[in-house]
Amino acid sequence: MTGNPPPDEVLGIEDLYITVHDGAATAVRGISLSVHTGEIVGLVGESGSGKTLTCRAALGVLPKGCGIEQGTISFERQDVTHLSPRGWERLHGTGIGAVFQDPSSYLNPSLTVGSQVAEVLRVKQKMGRRAAHAKTLELFTAVGLHHPELVFHQIPAELSGGMLQRVMIAIAISCEPRLIIADEATTALDVTIQAEIIELLKDLRDQRGLAVLFVSHDLAVIRELCDRVVVFYAGEVVESGPVAEIIERPRHPYTQALLRVASVGDYQRRELEVIAGQPPRVGAEITGCRFAERCPAAIAACRAAAINLSRLSPGHQARCVRVNDPELAGVIEAEMAAR
Amino acid sequence: MTAQATTDARAAQEKPLLAVEDVDVVLGRGWRANRVLSGVNLKIWPGEIVGLVGETGSGKTTLARTVVGLVRPRRGRVVFGETVVSGLRRGALRRERRRGHVQLVFQDPLRSLDPDLTVAQIVGEGLAIRGGIGAEEMRARVEDALAKVGLDATLLSRTSGQISGGQRQRVSIARALATDPELLLCDEPVSALDASNRNYVLRLLGELRDSLGLPIVIISHDLSSLAGIADRVVVLYRGRIVEDGPVGQVFSAPRHPYTALLMASAPSVKHDRPLDVHQLRRTAADPEPPTAANACVFAARCPFAVSECAEQPALETVGEGWTSACRRHQEWPALASVRRSNPTLA
Repeated sequence: MTGNPPPDEVLGIEDLYITVHDGAATAVRGISLSVHTGEIVGLVGESGSGKTLTCRAALGVLPKGCGIEQGTISFERQDVTHLSPRGWERLHGTGIGAVFQDPSSYLNPSLTVGSQVAEVLRVKQKMGRRAAHAKTLELFTAVGLHHPELVFHQIPAELSGGMLQRVMIAIAISCEPRLIIADEATTALDVTIQAEIIELLKDLRDQRGLAVLFVSHDLAVIRELCDRVVVFYAGEVVESGPVAEIIERPRHPYTQALLRVASVGDYQRRELEVIAGQPPRVGAEITGCRFAERCPAAIAACRAAAINLSRLSPGHQARCVRVNDPELAGVIEAEMAAR
Repeated sequence: MTAQATTDARAAQEKPLLAVEDVDVVLGRGWRANRVLSGVNLKIWPGEIVGLVGETGSGKTTLARTVVGLVRPRRGRVVFGETVVSGLRRGALRRERRRGHVQLVFQDPLRSLDPDLTVAQIVGEGLAIRGGIGAEEMRARVEDALAKVGLDATLLSRTSGQISGGQRQRVSIARALATDPELLLCDEPVSALDASNRNYVLRLLGELRDSLGLPIVIISHDLSSLAGIADRVVVLYRGRIVEDGPVGQVFSAPRHPYTALLMASAPSVKHDRPLDVHQLRRTAADPEPPTAANACVFAARCPFAVSECAEQPALETVGEGWTSACRRHQEWPALASVRRSNPTLA
């Protein structure tokens, strides 16, 4: 990396509210999170919980009809909440890189992958043809593509899903961003390839001090990759903290439920658990806890008033009125046994 | 039904429901010809759940398509019950397919369901194509199929865009059940779903087998989700079956290095794997693998490949009802455990 050492906090989101359907419903409510240099933060939650919207807001690419109602987004401590499209364009690539789920749909099928990476370098970094070519080969080696010269001249259809995802990561890191936002970047890949991509992201973090915001619906993947995790439920953060601590001792009943349904990976035959019920509709107005409807330990206080995040230890917080109730674990266990 | 019961059924009937015998499939012609399946032997017994695993391009889907007669094998045959499916042509094949004895369920329910059709039309489509029943009976059978997957009749008039992802996959299963199939082939039925819905659908498939005695083949690239439900697991690598055995045994001590690599790669919330991925991946220090054209399919990625792997090994019995296509199936587990777990740390 060149220039001054970057400020510690790379991405900061404060009390973010996002509306959808032209303001008709609020899909993300009061999200706060931060990602620091050299840190991998995971966002986990069901589909429709607002994780992708939050990501897109942080990339400045909210879909039509969605808007930021309240709150701020800062990149390297600069407020970017109301950045102009041109401002965002300057930030894309050089400040923030992005990797999405389906790599083949982001590449032009009829151009060689090498020319598509080089094009980014020529436009963003004003590099010459030769320099861009050399840099592309260097990037291909960095993301673990064997025979970079050969890959350079191949079209997307000639590469496997894992190789394409590596090309996408090469594009994402080509202009030396400080932050990578990866939305379900390994979901569509085979498990052996997924394991390799997870390692690659960790290596990039170690070697380049990259910050990564990694979105997944699978807690097991988050466990393998991230340092901290933020658990989303129906547009709210219900728990956040260090991954090891949350896996070891989840405090919110929803996180506990997610952990029960995640792959344990011991390959033993056991009853497959499910989370009963459905999440509330996007934008549903609910007083109190949004998970209460599906929670085995819900009491009257859960539905009485809005619930704040309680600080449990440095960096670990959960949004549950019974979080410090010593009976909570026992109640949930008894309920699960009864079902 | 348990694995024991499956064995009993096997002993009692001595006749598999489906037999894929020595099948080769070549897709494309001339210079484009691509051998997708080589010498595949697979038997499905009544009432069992078989997990078929392998990576993209390993031929899982082609195998399923061959079973229902959508792909014709270059060599070998597919026998379903008394019918040689691979020998049927044109009209006979069409009639066989329309009977719906074997039903396919696809991965992405949003893409495999017509967005303009209602749930009632989707579920009844197979029955309508087969014909011969009135509107009354049709409706009754559609509702019956929906009830089997735990959905109620209020969804009948909705389109696939108006129901959730988990419900959509259940509608796909109901569509398959409506024709009273004898075998269900599910192609990646859960990979588009989140963990809770994944477990729900898998549990549902287990219940269907228990209540209807329906044999089910679940194609998946995720082994861990199969552990809770399958009786037998079949591992495919580049068109060949490399391991086939009872799920408990295969998952506790795999006898093919590729199965072990798949298991070590699967993410989990716990970290006590018997073998680490680094112990199962080739490194530059490993001797060059044999490059002969008929070398073991996995040799190029296998850290334990030796010169005798220059010829593709046949499936060898390694236990009761358990076969593995590895010449070194007795030696490699010990070799793997002494390899360094993370070479970059040294």
